[in-house]
Amino acid sequence: MNAAFDRKYRFTVGGCLVCMCVVTWCFTRVSGQAQGAAPATTRSVGRGWPIPVPLGKFHGYPESEFVGAVTPWYYQTSATATGGKPPAGVQPLPHDIFTSKDFYVDRALWMDKRYYRCNSPIALDSIWGDYASGPGAIENNDGSTAAWGHCERDYPREAIVSPYPFKTAQEHYAALLAETRAHGGPTQHAKDTLPDWNGRYTRNLNLVFGRGRRGGGPGQPLPQEFAEPPQWVVGWSNQMPTILSLLTPEYQQRFVQAVYHKVNSNAAQNSLMYCRPEGLLRWWSGPGGPSQLDVMVVPGRVQFLGGTDNALRHVQIGREFSLKGTVPNLGSDVRSWLGETVGFWDRDTLITWTSNVQGWFTHGSWEYSSKMQLIEIWTPRTFADGRFAGLEHETVFYDPEAFLQPVRDIRFFSRRSDLKDAPPFHLEHCNQTIFVGKDGRGTQVPPGTTIDYKVMDLYDRPWARIWEEYFEKGMQRPKAPDDLGGFK
Amino acid sequence: MKTPHRTLRGLTFAVIALLASSPLIAHHSFAMYDRTITYVFTGVVERIIPDGAHMQIVFVPLSEDRTALVRDASGMPASWMVEMAGSAQEAREGITAESFPRGTVFSVGLSPLRSGQRGGARMEAVVKCPPKKPPAPGKHCDSVEGSTSHGEGHLAKASIAWKP
Repeated sequence: MNAAFDRKYRFTVGGCLVCMCVVTWCFTRVSGQAQGAAPATTRSVGRGWPIPVPLGKFHGYPESEFVGAVTPWYYQTSATATGGKPPAGVQPLPHDIFTSKDFYVDRALWMDKRYYRCNSPIALDSIWGDYASGPGAIENNDGSTAAWGHCERDYPREAIVSPYPFKTAQEHYAALLAETRAHGGPTQHAKDTLPDWNGRYTRNLNLVFGRGRRGGGPGQPLPQEFAEPPQWVVGWSNQMPTILSLLTPEYQQRFVQAVYHKVNSNAAQNSLMYCRPEGLLRWWSGPGGPSQLDVMVVPGRVQFLGGTDNALRHVQIGREFSLKGTVPNLGSDVRSWLGETVGFWDRDTLITWTSNVQGWFTHGSWEYSSKMQLIEIWTPRTFADGRFAGLEHETVFYDPEAFLQPVRDIRFFSRRSDLKDAPPFHLEHCNQTIFVGKDGRGTQVPPGTTIDYKVMDLYDRPWARIWEEYFEKGMQRPKAPDDLGGFK
Repeated sequence: MKTPHRTLRGLTFAVIALLASSPLIAHHSFAMYDRTITYVFTGVVERIIPDGAHMQIVFVPLSEDRTALVRDASGMPASWMVEMAGSAQEAREGITAESFPRGTVFSVGLSPLRSGQRGGARMEAVVKCPPKKPPAPGKHCDSVEGSTSHGEGHLAKASIAWKP
């Protein structure tokens, strides 16, 4: 069975590679068709709205629109200038994030794309050759030689922010629930009426993984049913300032801090390298999103299993959050790594609300707070002949501490096989082999070695504390209030 | 001197509290703690560590007159850490990172580590002082009007005083 699965998978991957370039332009049309519950002629109050700007030039998986000098997964180098020199026609800043001695005092430059040499978040995250699936763009171990990306490219901010009028996830969920009730829902599925979603799925990103390394080429078109808009959340479609423009000042600072220590200090602090949790946002990231996602559906629960660190998410069907805690929760006012999720069915569409999430960080992306809440809509798509193709996954991210306004991502998971045909899922336990070295950078430590070990507070941004201790001496970091109740 | 009855009561509450996080009861051995000793502190919250297996409160004891932080020989705050039940259980008792923010004054009894390091396992209830109302000299939060008690029982009675 496994061999059959592998053959099928390889065939499909090969078949899918190229046609991604014709897919996205028709995304909004497909998306509209895919809304199974809401009548086609009526716009839902809070799901399936098209991206409000033309996506014309962002056709397909937008390889030609990747911003950075390097892009992992495609193993793509598309630098516009190397060796630290700027591209023709671009006036560089006197200093930038690669050469700065103190990013805090550069705050006025943070919103200038030249400060990052026009590199995208994912390019900055991989510019030292961090990703096995992507080249680096630093020469002679000298960060000042970092290559430049494409200053003329950027995915529109208007395509990222949520088009819906809601200020909170609670409002959004209530509106969707009211809409569903208005036409007789929520649907109370019994075992024999549940949508048959059980199976193993994958992201489009994993269908194109390693594309460049295999020689690239146009390949064959993906079916249009796999369409999705550019995955801005992965970090390859945008200039850094565009992502920063979504964030509050504090979270702008946190993101720039992470990028600075990635590209300037070359001191990655990825969570799992120290066997720390990955956090919920990792589920949407390029490196950590579910390359294989097992979906299992029963009347009271939908289970999503997949993503790094054995991510397991349960949608509790028909349950309601308690609103008595700090954030909505299912009875325990304690944040958890992947949060808690309630949901309901609107015929064959699943609508969910996630809350009670532990704020965290995933490399190459922004930090999020423990106030983050999500609305997700899972909508089935079918091929023209009626066969089930997979699930459209629309997510609206609410985080009043990190975001200036809610943002949205839409992606597609194609079903690759029945669960009975999929290779077994193996629970993984992280065995720490990398520790913080004497220079503050992660380093391999062989068994039997005795090291100094500093215990970090997991809930106090341990990545940042290491950067601050080892790499920010003398910097003008804004001082946080340190009030112990007024006692001295 | 602690009576056998009091010791038994304290141990019972501690075991109830620690075992309440039932899925994780085998997280570690408690033999590291000296159950024959109960210290009672009134201190200031530095950090809450809301781990699933055991919530921890990192705190600095207040001086006997309740006006200053206790400091070690080097002048640094003499931080202690008290381990409790799982964070879900503690939340049910009203102890969360939000309800016990940095700067909160509270009182707690604990059995200290045998090693002599500044850590211990919680005994009986945690009592929180109202904001800006520390107890009178030599007293604990259970003596302050408006204080709140969290968990089973009362504030533990000290078997011996901790000396910095």
